[in-house]
Amino acid sequence: MIVWISIAIAVIIVAVFLIYYNRFVTLSHQIDNSLAQIDVQLRKRSDLIPNLLSAVKGYMKHERAAIKEVTDARKAMMSAKGIEKKMKAGNQMQEALKSIFAIAEGYPDLKASTNFLQLQQELSAIEDKVAYARQYYNDGIMTYNVMTSKVPGMWFASMYGFKTKEYLKIPKAAKAVPKIKF
Amino acid sequence: MNRLSFRDEIKKNKISSYFLIGIVFFVLLALTYTIAFIIGGDYFFIILIIGIPISIAYILIGFYKSDKIAIASANAKLAKQQEYRQYHNLVEGLCLASGLPKPKLYVMQNPQINAFASGRDPQHAVVCVTTGLLEKLNKQEIEGVLAHELSHIANYDIRFMTLTAVLVGMIAIISQIFLRTLFWSSISGRSNRENNNAVLMIIGIILAILAPIIVALVQLAISRKREYAADSSAVKFMRTPTGLIGALTKIKNNKPMKMSGAVAPLFIAKPSKAKEWFSTHPPLSERIKKLERM
Repeated sequence: MIVWISIAIAVIIVAVFLIYYNRFVTLSHQIDNSLAQIDVQLRKRSDLIPNLLSAVKGYMKHERAAIKEVTDARKAMMSAKGIEKKMKAGNQMQEALKSIFAIAEGYPDLKASTNFLQLQQELSAIEDKVAYARQYYNDGIMTYNVMTSKVPGMWFASMYGFKTKEYLKIPKAAKAVPKIKF
Repeated sequence: MNRLSFRDEIKKNKISSYFLIGIVFFVLLALTYTIAFIIGGDYFFIILIIGIPISIAYILIGFYKSDKIAIASANAKLAKQQEYRQYHNLVEGLCLASGLPKPKLYVMQNPQINAFASGRDPQHAVVCVTTGLLEKLNKQEIEGVLAHELSHIANYDIRFMTLTAVLVGMIAIISQIFLRTLFWSSISGRSNRENNNAVLMIIGIILAILAPIIVALVQLAISRKREYAADSSAVKFMRTPTGLIGALTKIKNNKPMKMSGAVAPLFIAKPSKAKEWFSTHPPLSERIKKLERM
């Protein structure tokens, strides 16, 4: 009888160890995957830039600075290594695109072109997707971090060597609230 | 004003759903047990031999073809990527927010504002919206509705509702078979165990009549609970209830659409006018009130 009870207890203990290990691994993979999703969206945006520039070029001959800003941002994006740098380049590009679209407001012909409108719609959809992907990434980090810092997950985490992870931070420029003047 | 946490809301709804499906199972057990007891003998096995393959086939078809059945009964068409860019983009964004695979997207020609999701799991899910929804709602409101539908997928409501629908159908069929067998055996005058079975017989008949009604009511109660849960999950994906509140308000001010009862629980708002107890959805004003507290 005692033998059976101790076997049962041993099995339960092993199961708990395995479950915790698998839980950490699954969450880590989920986090890696959502990071890759952000990357995919950022790359899709860079791929659309040449199309945007060729659509805009005919109209915006005198807006060299704005166009250069976008091409620079794209270059930075292409050469960026690591998600932190990519996110930074992505935000730089978002700013550059904002100014292009703001300038486009002054060109009625351009605004009427369906090609341009479609690109604008697509780029703003990508912006939403980047935000959603980042949200999902941070949600994953939160679940993971809660598990690695709560009892008993904490003990398993330190035993298996899983450490808490960093959230993706929104860069300062994007967080600044525009001042409204009356 | 106390704020409702969307995570608590989801947990609460899950627990009550399990409780409700427990009741359905209990009714099913009680019904079959009583029937077995009353009929006994030869009939029971005959019913089993005919009934089991039919009910297994019924469950399998209902389970594996649920998405196609729903799409066919709504007469919906596949939404092309080129034609419905915004629809596709919004769903893709929400899939990134929820970690779900992208479902197949459909559109049905209808001026009313409505949408539904179906399928057995997130890998085999479909989402369908009316053309009226795409025309009458703005981008944020469409996104709210789509988030609600994707929540039904993420919370496995689509599977859950399919299973309960199949279960409810099964109970209705069993009751029907039982009542018909009784009727048939009483006119052919073969029943010779009347005396000791009279009380049981009456209980059996009452059960057979009541069970489908009870189970249908339970199904509707589950469905209403799930709507609240899907609303909270939609807020979880979008981090703001504004879009969904706007959409529900517009639906409230719109005329209800006509749709067959079988697919009614799948829609975002109930497609037909019915009393609260017999309704698949909670009242829109209640849902809006809850969303405004989040």
